[in-house]
Amino acid sequence: MAGDLMAGEPDPDVAREAIEYCYEQGWTDGLPVVPASPELVDQFLAQTDRAPDEVLWRMDHLNTECTVQTAAINAAMAGCLPEYFPVVLAAWDAVMLDRAAKGGGWQSTSGPAPLIVVNGPIRHQLELNCTGGIFAGGFRPNATIPRALGLMMRNAFGVAPHVFDQTTQGIPGRWAICFGENEEESPWEPLATEMGLEPGANAVSCTLTRTFEFVDNRHTQDPEQLLWDFADTISRTGVMIFRTQSAGIVLCPEHAQMLADAGYAKTDVKDWLVEHCGRVEADLRHAGKDAVSEGGHGARCAGEHERVPGDVFSPFMPGRESVPIVVAGARNAAISMVFRVFGEWSNSSVAVETTNLIAAVSDAGG
Amino acid sequence: MTTAIMDPTGRTEKQASAGLALASRPADLSGVSVGLLENGKQNARLFLEEVAGVLRVRHRVGDVQLRRKEVFSAPAPPELVDELSAASDVVVIGVGDCGSCSASAIADGVLFERHGTPAAVICSDAFTATADAMAEVQEAPGYHYITTPHPVAGLTPGQVRDRAEQVAAEVAEVLAAQGRQVA
Repeated sequence: MAGDLMAGEPDPDVAREAIEYCYEQGWTDGLPVVPASPELVDQFLAQTDRAPDEVLWRMDHLNTECTVQTAAINAAMAGCLPEYFPVVLAAWDAVMLDRAAKGGGWQSTSGPAPLIVVNGPIRHQLELNCTGGIFAGGFRPNATIPRALGLMMRNAFGVAPHVFDQTTQGIPGRWAICFGENEEESPWEPLATEMGLEPGANAVSCTLTRTFEFVDNRHTQDPEQLLWDFADTISRTGVMIFRTQSAGIVLCPEHAQMLADAGYAKTDVKDWLVEHCGRVEADLRHAGKDAVSEGGHGARCAGEHERVPGDVFSPFMPGRESVPIVVAGARNAAISMVFRVFGEWSNSSVAVETTNLIAAVSDAGG
Repeated sequence: MTTAIMDPTGRTEKQASAGLALASRPADLSGVSVGLLENGKQNARLFLEEVAGVLRVRHRVGDVQLRRKEVFSAPAPPELVDELSAASDVVVIGVGDCGSCSASAIADGVLFERHGTPAAVICSDAFTATADAMAEVQEAPGYHYITTPHPVAGLTPGQVRDRAEQVAAEVAEVLAAQGRQVA
């Protein structure tokens, strides 16, 4: 009879029972998780030299912490393969370089999303998508590595929705934003190299983000027109809550190549954006964001009276260091993504530490 | 061989907490010095100052000291708790008006109570779930705090004054109620 279990085949009813058990414990983000056995978790732990009981991070105010072993359990549950685990650990370390992540960012009403970028040959070893559809799903490491961080936040740190996570609406795909840089089609050095790591290093860079918006500009040959288009999108008043706001761009290869062909180094692009992103006083006044509160933490608010003439320009970006730019996506159309940084980008990358065993295997294979 | 599914929380079963014994209260607030711990959120300082103003008129409180908590998302550092406790007989804390600062305001209230200084915490009513959860984490389940309707950040100074008027009686009751215990 069709549907009979053959010898050696997994039993779907047993699998479902185990998945439902995890739901009942409150261990899932809404989607099914992989029930983690000690044997599976050991495979994850074998991928790192870090001790299972090493504390990755402690949230003193919530009296919670996450060890390497707890991270491994959550990564297994997220659907990661064991060999993804060093990237999960590096992604965690990278996101925690962000000041907002160390503070109350995870409890914030903004519900910031970690943006995780991977550099180096490990992208190909793990089959991490770097090209078409980097934000669109469909690839196991891209989907499961950020999900592992989300499960760690929920399960290990206890920051769950409606309780310590006070997200008002959040960001679509909050725990699903991870891709490799398209180093092969980028005209510039990889992000991790720019951040000072050895060329060719396996590395993760991460920042917390609060909105994504794409810029579709495929009919100009003028790099300045393209940059104006980015600046217009970056300079929206809606996302401004403080005096300044950092933003970055995930450039598609076509846009990056066009800028590079016109002689722009990545730093030139950053400097251009720092100079041109912002709004005039009249626009800020229309949105009730022309004044900066003295009494609070510098939140923008409506001014009681006109402070400066309406045509005075306020730049939004604090400086070159606050503009992460990375190249990813397919080279099939000129569509790039602008994202706003939640707090302050760490402007650094974290090397992926693999065990000697894995390094030897990849050398032999390379 | 069957093995148990591994627990991803890393936590062991919590013991039932002993709860929080509140600091002893003055019989009334007359002449009592008041510390204000503001978290830097929009309107927080004005709100607390207006509350202190009402307490001065209605309860003839003494000195008022204002301190700013620099990191709104985290509980107050021990030095600040020491300093404000030394400088004042009772403290008013607020305003919990965001995801992290509401929880940390509750943690601050518990810190001051354990330090022996009566505290009144004011929190927006949109954040009671996270405030109550923090009380549990701080082993002070059921810790009583004062709510004001959400939102607070967008209020005009006149509206802030009205809100302060509305909560002042409860603040006074919390600070002066001798021997009040949490559930």
